[in-house]
Amino acid sequence: MTTAQPLVEIRGLRTHFFTESGVARAVDNVSLDIRRGEVLGLVGESGSGKSVTALSILRLIPDPPGRIVGGEILYQGRDLLKLPLEEVRKIRGSGISMVFQEPMTSLNPVFTIGMQLTEVILAHEVCSREEARQRSVAMLAEVGIPDAESRMAQYPHHLSGGMRQRVVIAMALLLNPSLVIADEPTTALDVTIQAQILDLMLQLKAKRDGAAILLITHDLAVVAETCDRVAVMYGGKIQEVAPVEELFRNPMHPYTRGLIGSIPSAIGTKDRRLTVIPGSIPDIYDLPAGCKFETRCGDRFEPCAETEPSLIEMSPGHLVRCHLHTC
Amino acid sequence: MLMTDTILDVRHLTVRFPVFGGVFMRRTAEVRAVDDVSFTLRRGETLGLVGESGCGKTTVGRALINILRAMSYDVEVSGQALYHHPSGVVNLAGLSQSAMRPFRSDIQMIFQDPYSSLNPRKTVAQIVGEPLRIHTKGTVAERADRVRWLLEKVGLSPDQAERYPHEFSGGQRQRIGIARALATNPKIIIADEPVSALDVSIQAQVVNLMQDLQEEFGLSYIFIAHDLSVVRHISDRIAVMYLGHLVEMGSADDIYTRPLHPYSRALLAAAPRANPSARERRERLPGDVPSPMHKPSGCAFRTRCSIARSDCAEAVPPRTSRQGRDVACPYSE
Repeated sequence: MTTAQPLVEIRGLRTHFFTESGVARAVDNVSLDIRRGEVLGLVGESGSGKSVTALSILRLIPDPPGRIVGGEILYQGRDLLKLPLEEVRKIRGSGISMVFQEPMTSLNPVFTIGMQLTEVILAHEVCSREEARQRSVAMLAEVGIPDAESRMAQYPHHLSGGMRQRVVIAMALLLNPSLVIADEPTTALDVTIQAQILDLMLQLKAKRDGAAILLITHDLAVVAETCDRVAVMYGGKIQEVAPVEELFRNPMHPYTRGLIGSIPSAIGTKDRRLTVIPGSIPDIYDLPAGCKFETRCGDRFEPCAETEPSLIEMSPGHLVRCHLHTC
Repeated sequence: MLMTDTILDVRHLTVRFPVFGGVFMRRTAEVRAVDDVSFTLRRGETLGLVGESGCGKTTVGRALINILRAMSYDVEVSGQALYHHPSGVVNLAGLSQSAMRPFRSDIQMIFQDPYSSLNPRKTVAQIVGEPLRIHTKGTVAERADRVRWLLEKVGLSPDQAERYPHEFSGGQRQRIGIARALATNPKIIIADEPVSALDVSIQAQVVNLMQDLQEEFGLSYIFIAHDLSVVRHISDRIAVMYLGHLVEMGSADDIYTRPLHPYSRALLAAAPRANPSARERRERLPGDVPSPMHKPSGCAFRTRCSIARSDCAEAVPPRTSRQGRDVACPYSE
């Protein structure tokens, strides 16, 4: 039964940063499955640990100051955290690849688009330069870049932001990875371009059997439009996991409820007040001992400050970390 | 003395940036970042200004402030900005520095980035007190009182007045920026992407605060933003811009439920909706925004428009009133 086996299993991942100000528990005991063929959304605000979780999967945490201090990440029966770095490097790109927020910084400004694409192939596979070039051109055409052949000779600054992000996506897909991690892939783009890029990512995924996307974003509307399942992070912990429709219909964690309430809706008018999560995001060096959301939660009661609730499955596939649902 | 409904009447605002090139760095071309934009702002209302990067929405806001400061440098601003002051209608664009003085404190600005718009070397009391020092005659003690009152109004503790900006979170810094804008008792506030740098949960706090202050002080807002849902939420009327042109303007409800201009339609269709049960394939705008240096002739949107005809290339379509709003497209229905 290989289909039931998740593509990636994150078990008890803990990534901490050791700095002069103290230890930042950016990711603290995160467990999450990424299933074959799904689009999994990882949602949270700045400092929630969503990007650090993603970087940990590919062992891209800058060390020092960061270090993965515990847990395992199982991919194709192997623990990525125990593999030697050369092995991880082989998986990067061919098994799991990444698309970052800012396409200008993930492309090298002094090399042509063509050189950067073919290099990805040549670094991982034995094949001729000409074959690598042809595959790159085909990939550029597939991500919707007009006149792909002549674009190969151009430099990143010749392209618009949306076109650059298409090149980055082409690069991420060149080796047919089974998982693409997209970290805020459309945050730097305009709305109409964002819609183009999200459509493109879903189309390309549909053409690749079993391929999954881990979409990291702060934008719940983007999640609602693209994801199958959602995991909500806050204070370095997963707070709620649910299928996307279930999460929007029946959010169980007070933080998720607050987040959904704070989105100005398309029907909302001036007379409606936005639901507000009071206060600000807690200091990463000084997180609450119990529930991480306790300091801002309107529903807190006795156990919240002292004991951290555990992540409990309330209905099939809907997990929540909150004392309201355990007591 | 006649108090009209209108507080600011902007007519034919055009902003040109010269482009220099060649061996002698002569002026070779110009970019019209804002091209013949007219709108009115009513008392106590919020006018949302939306569009994508490069559409000129920020430049409109800056131009109004620039007119106010009566400075031009090499940017050329033309047009009229008629300010309906209790003493009569004044064209701010035609005033000298000294003639401008009494009106300058009436229009204030809130900026996007709460990290770079506050001087890191000054305390909150100095930052918020600065416009008071310049525009009012009060004593030091009176100013300090007013600063404490302002901080309370924006939801900060007056005890924090002696702290520096870096000691505050992004949302709190934006509150400081708002307190500074409020200091001189302005009538109009131009807010340029005031919440887009903030986290979602903090965004809602600042939006609510701006609405409360508007109600309490009868402020008129020009709210510039790219996030369509935030604009919809806060605005009474909305103006949509594309490549320097104002293509449609009307009530927020009209524009969001029945956009007429093909660009407004495409823009709204592209905005993601926070409702996973209502996913649908929507019309997508092809291609990129053209460079403002090489703006298409006639209607600037025609190169990406699904209903463009051959005569769209000939002249910029005039704005006409239809179905309760102004639209710059003769062919949309």
